[in-house]
Amino acid sequence: MDTYTGTIKPELKIQELTAEKVKFILTNVGLSMANALRRIMLSEIATIAIDMVEFELNTSVLADEFIAHRLGLIPLDSTEAEKIKYSRECNCNGACKECSVELNMHVKCTEEDITKDVTSRDLVSSDPRFTPIQEGPKDPGILIAKLRKGQEIKVKCIAKKGVAKEHAKWSPCAAVAFEYDPFNKLRHTKYWIEEDEQREWPASRNAADDFAPGDGEAFDFNARPNRFYFEVETIGSMKPEDIVMNAFKKLLEKISSIQMGMSTNDGMSGRDQPRDSY
Amino acid sequence: MPSTFNTCERERLFLNPSDKKFGIPELQKLVKPHIDSFNSLLEPPTKGILNYAVIDIDPVEIFDVKVPYNSTAQGNKLKVWIEEVLISRPLLSEHVRAKKRRIYPAECRERFTTYAGKMNIKLCWKINDANTNFETKYVGMAPIMVKSNRCNLQNLFPKQLIENHEESEEMGGYFIVNGIEKVIRLLLVQRRNYVMAIIRPSLASRGASYTEYGVSIRCARQDQTTMTNIIHYLKNGNCMLRFSWKKQEYMIPVILIMKALIEINDKGIFEQLVQGEFSNTFLTDRVELMLQEFKSFGIQSKEQCVSFLGEKFRIIFSISPSYSHKQAGEHILKKVILVHLKHNRDKFNLLIFMIRKLYSLVAGECSPDNSDSPQNQEILLGGHLYGMLIKEKLGDCLNSIRAVVAADIANNRPVDFNDKKYITNLFNRSNMEIGRKLAYFLATGNLASNSGLDLMQTSGYTIVAEKLNFYRYISHFRCVHRGSFFTQMKTTTVRKLLPESWAGFICPVHTPDGAPCGLLNHLSHTCRIITTKPNVEMVPSILAEMGIINRLATGHAQSIVNKLRLLKFEDEISIDLEIGYIPPSNGGQYPGIYLFSEQARMMRPVKYLANNEVDMIGTFEQVYMNIACLEEDVIKDVTTHIEIKPTNMLSILANLTPFSDYNQSPRNMYQCQMAKQTMGTPSTAIMHRTDNKLYRLQTGQTPIVRPLLHNTLGLDGFPNGTNAIVAVISYTGYDMEDAMIINKSAHERGFKYGTIYKSEIVSLDEFYDSGIKHHFGLGADAPPSLREKLDNDGLPFIGTRLKMGDPLCAYIDDTQGGKTIVKQYKGSEDAYVDKVRLLGDDSGVYEVQKVQIMLRIPRPPVIGDKFSSRHGQKGILSRLWPQVDMPFTESGMQPDIIINPHAFPSRMTIGMFVESMAGKCGAMFGVAQDSTPFRFNEEFTAIDYFGEQLVRAGYNYHGNEPMYSGTTGEEFQADIYIGVVYYQRLRHMVSDKWQVRSTGPVHNLTMQPIGGRKRSGGIRFGEMERDSLLAHGMSFCLQDRLMNCSDFSQCHICRKCGSIFTSLSLKTHYQLNTNRAYKKHHIQCNICETSRWISLVKIPYAFRYLATELASMGVKIILKTKDDD
Repeated sequence: MDTYTGTIKPELKIQELTAEKVKFILTNVGLSMANALRRIMLSEIATIAIDMVEFELNTSVLADEFIAHRLGLIPLDSTEAEKIKYSRECNCNGACKECSVELNMHVKCTEEDITKDVTSRDLVSSDPRFTPIQEGPKDPGILIAKLRKGQEIKVKCIAKKGVAKEHAKWSPCAAVAFEYDPFNKLRHTKYWIEEDEQREWPASRNAADDFAPGDGEAFDFNARPNRFYFEVETIGSMKPEDIVMNAFKKLLEKISSIQMGMSTNDGMSGRDQPRDSY
Repeated sequence: MPSTFNTCERERLFLNPSDKKFGIPELQKLVKPHIDSFNSLLEPPTKGILNYAVIDIDPVEIFDVKVPYNSTAQGNKLKVWIEEVLISRPLLSEHVRAKKRRIYPAECRERFTTYAGKMNIKLCWKINDANTNFETKYVGMAPIMVKSNRCNLQNLFPKQLIENHEESEEMGGYFIVNGIEKVIRLLLVQRRNYVMAIIRPSLASRGASYTEYGVSIRCARQDQTTMTNIIHYLKNGNCMLRFSWKKQEYMIPVILIMKALIEINDKGIFEQLVQGEFSNTFLTDRVELMLQEFKSFGIQSKEQCVSFLGEKFRIIFSISPSYSHKQAGEHILKKVILVHLKHNRDKFNLLIFMIRKLYSLVAGECSPDNSDSPQNQEILLGGHLYGMLIKEKLGDCLNSIRAVVAADIANNRPVDFNDKKYITNLFNRSNMEIGRKLAYFLATGNLASNSGLDLMQTSGYTIVAEKLNFYRYISHFRCVHRGSFFTQMKTTTVRKLLPESWAGFICPVHTPDGAPCGLLNHLSHTCRIITTKPNVEMVPSILAEMGIINRLATGHAQSIVNKLRLLKFEDEISIDLEIGYIPPSNGGQYPGIYLFSEQARMMRPVKYLANNEVDMIGTFEQVYMNIACLEEDVIKDVTTHIEIKPTNMLSILANLTPFSDYNQSPRNMYQCQMAKQTMGTPSTAIMHRTDNKLYRLQTGQTPIVRPLLHNTLGLDGFPNGTNAIVAVISYTGYDMEDAMIINKSAHERGFKYGTIYKSEIVSLDEFYDSGIKHHFGLGADAPPSLREKLDNDGLPFIGTRLKMGDPLCAYIDDTQGGKTIVKQYKGSEDAYVDKVRLLGDDSGVYEVQKVQIMLRIPRPPVIGDKFSSRHGQKGILSRLWPQVDMPFTESGMQPDIIINPHAFPSRMTIGMFVESMAGKCGAMFGVAQDSTPFRFNEEFTAIDYFGEQLVRAGYNYHGNEPMYSGTTGEEFQADIYIGVVYYQRLRHMVSDKWQVRSTGPVHNLTMQPIGGRKRSGGIRFGEMERDSLLAHGMSFCLQDRLMNCSDFSQCHICRKCGSIFTSLSLKTHYQLNTNRAYKKHHIQCNICETSRWISLVKIPYAFRYLATELASMGVKIILKTKDDD
């Protein structure tokens, strides 16, 4: 149970923002709220990823299913994932423009004594909004397979929208660092010390941003964690700040869906309704 | 720190394979004993062992009339012998038109044929005393060892090997028989040419006066065949020599042999045996008695003795009638008595030595030699065994010629040796095909031999070199077996790890647990086996220079040994000479200097302190040497040698266990087992492999933590697992009892993803001559649905997904009027068609009749699959846990694998903790961590070494980290030990093991459910299971399991006579039963002749079966019944 912090507004302080990651401190929120944010970022941000692969030709040394798996894990630019429907919510059967993106790839090695790399750059998207990510024109792309002379791969891929809960390929972030209380003032943990704490436990990276306990400071058993150090690293399909913003949006959505649910079912009688959704 | 993964170096080797040298030369050395022993069969300078063998095969003398063996009139004599054996490289036969005639091993593997070369012999014959004729005779196709001097891959280097569809670092050392790779096992056998004192109860079982004392010597001829001679000690002090001929044992008084060997009188023998020890009455008494007893034979001179021997044994040895008794006797002495020696004088001297050792053993002056100790053992090499077999089969060839003539004479067919036609015809009619016999030996491992080859077993000589993963494959070539004879032994003495064996020759760690424990060992990675006879010609003259003529004064021995050892480093004597010195002791081993220079000995390198050079030492001499392990172990004036590395005692696999010195020893044994069951990288030429089943890990990695040997052997080419982030924490309860949790997201990203390749062969007509009746293809009658999976040629499309019952291929059967016949895919798992091979016949003329279809079955990890770290810590996957719910560290790192801390206290695999720390900092700094055992010590501990690195990377010194619960985000009370551990996926997978049944097939005799997964049978509900249900009082459940769900049956019983067999169903008696008109069938007891006592009872069908069986033996079962009320 978090203590009521209604009078103090939650605060988010961005410490560092690059193309790959955002580092921020979230203060004046409860642990459950902070963790919810972390969990949503990890598992519920919608992105686009290749979900179906149709092989027309594959004479490479790698097996079809293995290439298909690799294709699935290639991050596609998902900044506009909002604008596309989930396949399951679409009226079409299977895939359509509304709910999917088609990508094609056709690579053949024709040169002698050369190993041709098949990379994510060879994937041609039918929708310019959703393309395999690329860091500048010099980026060689993500390696998919290697071909020798005469080998050829021709595939048609259908990318769909999804969340990481379903499959890790839809995860926009590589890792979410999360920490509170670097000085262990709350005594949530016990550092195992063999001889010398200074030598064995290097200070946390976030210690500089926290407030070291004063000498002989009394243990406040009422204290609750309320200052959280985040670092969100993207795999490239989304800007890191978008991940955070989308996570907030998603959180809001979740809460409002509860609100909606409460208002459509007229109050207490809700439990008498037939639960046909199960 | 620079990176030490050698990634670029490896990439370079792979992209530009050299045509001049091997990238990993160490790998080639590992199989050397196999290849060199095969090469020595036909090595050019001496023409090889087979040449010696051919000389040793006796010519066969055949007569054209039937003659008693001692008559003088014998008719014409045909003498046949073999002069030369030639084995060619595997080539296409002359009848086939082809541009390239060479056959390469890859073709044999893919076509399921035998990699063999043409074998010819130079067969010579002579009629009476006319001129010698000869003929080159084809005797079949002899299987050839890959990469031997008869293999087309010999002297090829990576570039050419790849061109020939081999591994880039192909090592060879095996045969290919019907497409299967076979290795001849290395066997431990008694050391050759060394007199062993033995005390064995079985020796006493040879006769009434025999005792358990004896001396035994296994004599090796130049062609590596052996003959064992044993001298028995009789109760009265006499000595009998025993030898075996064609699996029969024969005993001869030793004095008879001594007198037959050289011309000597009793006094001479006495003096030789006693050697001046006249005060030793134990010795003199027995020698006197022995000589006395021989008097009863009434023969004295050499000639008499030899003739006596010849007369008694000529039948057994089937000696030619043209030989006199004396010639026969001399022949026998040459054939069976101390065959390693040429001269009779030497044989006599050795007999003297043997008898003296025997008497000394009986008197208790010396101890028996331990036949289980490697001191008294050597290795029977594959090539040598193969040579022995060829020799025996060649001898059989000659005998078969004799048999043909004998049959002709017996059937009164004309026999005319002077007729050229008859002779050619004779050779053609005799059974000279030995290639097939050799292939049979390799394919089955069974030794079909009438002499037994002086070996103790008849089967189990060969094993399949399974390419399950590379570690298992390489171990096949390094394993030595004690012999299948010893697997039956009830005592454990043969399995014991003796100090003299594990010191560098045989790995103390790498042996399986269970039945073959201690019998199936592995050579340490530096152990060598001598395959060519080293140059020791100078030794006798050197010894003579040192003044050793006959006997040696005790005090001089050590200095002579030292001088000899120093000479080993000069060119005169080979470094491979073994100088064994057993010092005189009180009741110890029989003293003396023993020099060993023959093949098949185990030797290993150590450093000689006197000159700091690498010396080779053998198993015999090591026992009496002082070898220090480390510098600090050197004792001045005592220690002579020092180990090059402490890890030299370990086998390859044992060496690869990281920090194995920190583990409890059995765990290292388990790891050696599990490394061989790992789903790894079997081969880099998978597209050219046709193994029945191949396991492959798609996402293999190089271990971050590995010993130096990993690089030396180039094991990065064959990754065996993946580096996993492992947290040691009790989380969720799904990690209880050795279960482990895998991160679901890691799983989805391909963690431990594996594939199985299965080979299916479809063969239509085996015999081409009678005309081809079946053709692959789809006929006009094929339904369109078939064409979705199969092409017009009747073969599946590459990449097709096959479900159970889908068509695998189809063919048109002419015998059924052109009907299309479909072969179905029978597996229960979905498979993809990976490759289709059309296998032609040897001539390449006929229409294809055989195809091989490689199927690919994807095997992502599922719950129930088995994994293990490299420390004998195996676990079963119990849950794929969602990433968000996994615990995480401050940096957001989430483990791939969670294991329970309870896996550690009792197993004490501290090595795994060290690996975890080492892996963690290795990953942080991008370096490969050296995990060679014994790198660290009390002063320089692993914990400090890696702890410092961890702190530098910003982690806790001990590898702990504070972690947070994934579900609540709350920090755990305890810090969690988390790091990087190399994990293996084992080949045991639930998909191959699950078994389920509700109703199904039953046994037709007992009506009980059958067993076995393949037949969809049940799992036995046994006695102990029954007991537990009883103990719980669950009688209804018990009845349900054992009766209702098993062999429930009903039958009629007559309550009066108590029989279940006498009730008969009768219709004729229908009218008699007027008041029970509804009964259509009337059942009545045939004996009591009434239906009054008939009841229907429920009994297990098995009981009925029992009653029937008893009835058939005349035993009647009477059942007493009680009314159910």
